[in-house]
Amino acid sequence: MRTLQSLFVSFAVVLLMSSICFGSDLDLFSDQHGTLRIAGGTAHIPVMKEITKRIMTRYPDVRISVAGGGSGVGIQQVGEGMVEIGNAGRAATDDEIARFGLVPFKWAIDGVGAIVHPDNGVKALTRTQLQAVFSGTITNWQQLGGVDRTINLYTRDQASGTRKVFWSKALNKGDISMAANVVNSNGAMKTAIANDPYGIGYVSVGHMDASTAPITLDGVTPTLETVRNGSYGVARGLYSLTKGQPQGLTKAFIDYLFSGEGQQIAADKGFIPVR
Amino acid sequence: MKPRRIDHLVALFSHLCALTLLLLMVTLVGYLLYRGHHTIDRELFFGWADPWQALTFQRQVFDGLFPALIGTTLLVGLAILIAAPIGLAAGIYLAEYARGTTRTVLNLLFDLLSAIPSIVIGLFGLAVAIVLHRWFPGRFGPCLLLSALCLALLVLPYLIRATQNALESIDPQIRQSGRSMGASKLQNLFYILLPHRLPELTSGLILAIGRCAEDTAVIMLTGVVATAGVPHSILQNYEAIPFYIYTVASQYTDATELNRGFSAALILITLCCGLFLLAFFIQHHLQRRLLFRQEKP
Amino acid sequence: MKYLFQWAAFGSALLTAAIFVILYLLSLPLLSQGTLWTVLWQPWDPQHGSFGIYPMVVTSLSSAFVAVAISTPLCFGCALFITQYGPRNIRRWMLNLVRLMGSIPTVVYGFTALFLLVPRMREALGGSGLNIATASLILALLIAPTLILFFVDSITQSSQRDCHTVTALGGTRAQVIRHAVLPQAWPGLVNGILLGLGRAMGDTLISLMLAGNSVQTPDALTDSARTLTAHIALVIAADVASLEFRSLFACAIVLYLFSALLVIGVRWINHSQPLSQRRML
Repeated sequence: MRTLQSLFVSFAVVLLMSSICFGSDLDLFSDQHGTLRIAGGTAHIPVMKEITKRIMTRYPDVRISVAGGGSGVGIQQVGEGMVEIGNAGRAATDDEIARFGLVPFKWAIDGVGAIVHPDNGVKALTRTQLQAVFSGTITNWQQLGGVDRTINLYTRDQASGTRKVFWSKALNKGDISMAANVVNSNGAMKTAIANDPYGIGYVSVGHMDASTAPITLDGVTPTLETVRNGSYGVARGLYSLTKGQPQGLTKAFIDYLFSGEGQQIAADKGFIPVR
Repeated sequence: MKPRRIDHLVALFSHLCALTLLLLMVTLVGYLLYRGHHTIDRELFFGWADPWQALTFQRQVFDGLFPALIGTTLLVGLAILIAAPIGLAAGIYLAEYARGTTRTVLNLLFDLLSAIPSIVIGLFGLAVAIVLHRWFPGRFGPCLLLSALCLALLVLPYLIRATQNALESIDPQIRQSGRSMGASKLQNLFYILLPHRLPELTSGLILAIGRCAEDTAVIMLTGVVATAGVPHSILQNYEAIPFYIYTVASQYTDATELNRGFSAALILITLCCGLFLLAFFIQHHLQRRLLFRQEKP
Repeated sequence: MKYLFQWAAFGSALLTAAIFVILYLLSLPLLSQGTLWTVLWQPWDPQHGSFGIYPMVVTSLSSAFVAVAISTPLCFGCALFITQYGPRNIRRWMLNLVRLMGSIPTVVYGFTALFLLVPRMREALGGSGLNIATASLILALLIAPTLILFFVDSITQSSQRDCHTVTALGGTRAQVIRHAVLPQAWPGLVNGILLGLGRAMGDTLISLMLAGNSVQTPDALTDSARTLTAHIALVIAADVASLEFRSLFACAIVLYLFSALLVIGVRWINHSQPLSQRRML
């Protein structure tokens, strides 16, 4: 009898161990169902989409919708209770946190860098030049050693956290020309620059790929490595915010973001995980 | 210049204009076909999921148009379900009952409604949702139902006009034959007038469906999102084909995604033109009416 | 039953008015800082606390007018082809094609233009290729069915007798148009143009995708700029209290009033005849 009991116990232990070893972080969602709405920061979208895909493939009862809008929209909407998780590519202000009772979760580090078309000859600028370009003082690529074509500026809308970070850390809060074309997400910025040989814009480092070329700023190229070691200064955290402490499905989602798998996804999508 | 010469120039001009328009259309459709046709396959709709499992909603589809197609279908169905009875009733009232000043004012308001840009209606819907959300926290936000309500508002004037025009163009003889046999006004309406104009009413309805399916401006303010899966309830966010096309256009990441956008555009244009042709067929061929009545000498 | 019909009619009519009232009420906090007039004349610069919509009004009006200016001659030519000059068996096909054109989704126009037109405009005009001119060209295409159908209708409805008279006097077809058709058909032509203008101004996706969306007041058609409709689509926030969000309602009111003006204009020309369904079929 005793042997049977110990056998049972040891079997249970093995089962528990194996579920720890071979189980997935997705198990967080095993007894969850319902809907989760996510909106806001557009830099977050690739990570959110991947996580959503994994969860909904495994647990069809869970519904997660992902929308963009920009960091400002994310903070507003989670504050108003229109969504359960609001994403922001900038730290929420004290005022915003106090007003809505928000709880921020910083799950990755990201940079913001200027990008141009890969065929563009100009791939390095000083900070002063960058400011002059974005304020509209320098209007031709020739002035920067490029071809004789007008510089096409691209910027983001007011709600963008990427804009706010780039504006305060790369442009030192200098003006951004009113003549700049406006796009409404990191993805759209990348696509716009990839299609415009004479364009310049700025995008989350996580979104950079071969379709665009990063601008080396004061000798430092924005890459995952330079952001990680701190030599590239235009960096920021990626936040997910909830109204009050997260519960249920929302909590599972936030926990998953910080789990091994969640952090791995963040790394795969080009961000620097916090754990 | 001699009149003959002017006449020839005008003729040349009109031919050129017609040719330009034709060429532009051929270019548009041809380009979409050229870029979009080769990706229309199983993967376009279902991504990597098994079609059977997707169709029975056992498995969510990612990287495929299936959720967007379902979203659009639900959206259009719901919008028409809301708008059709109201549009029909209002159209009947306008054609059969309203007289004098009432009629003039109603006509004016419905013309006005049909002229309001769709984004304004979308903004109206969003504002209402936000206000409702304030009053009943956690209950109501941008969702499938809200979009459907706004779309219903958008196509309402078309449905009203379709009904009104259909009824008003009825031959007085037909109108009176029922009454003279002792039918009440309502009986006359339901057993004679409406069935008589069924083709027009149906085609009006189908055109309204097409209008709902193509609209992007209303839904982008009232609840459509890039990723949502197939919605479980009408109070959830959803995906839709036109919005998918817009998203791809502004932020495609690779050639595959772009090609999927072209295919989606091809599907939407086929859907809308198909609906139009269906409406056209019903109206013009089922009735055996000559389409091009007024020929000039 | 009658009352049910009545309710439906009055309910729908009431909604039309309700839209305006709600838009107005929600824009009040912005308007209370000044009148609608000052909001109309100020630039958009939220960072410096200026929420005017002047640049968007200018862009909306100019892109719509340019679109109509491009579209009108083209559509008049097409209408003449369909009613007068085209080979008889082709006319009917052409008219049906124009009707079919009306059912092409605007997002598809925008999508295709992004790949076919924008790179060419970039090479031709310099800049990014996203500007008012690009948007206007596609808007011209969008409103073409509206214009052509109205033109064709009003030309075919003009008196046959007058046309025959001019023909009998030995007039050419061009003279028939000049002396018999135009004097009668002009109200219809103007109606078509007005409604086309409304459609061009009310469209969102084409200008959103093609006009560049910059917030400057445009000086030239080659400038990037944003229309009222694109502005509404771009500035989404859930904070009803923010002035930024309130400014959207000012945009919506301008769009509403403009379309109301056009409808009243059309009805005034038409002498209170309801607009037919021509817009759709």
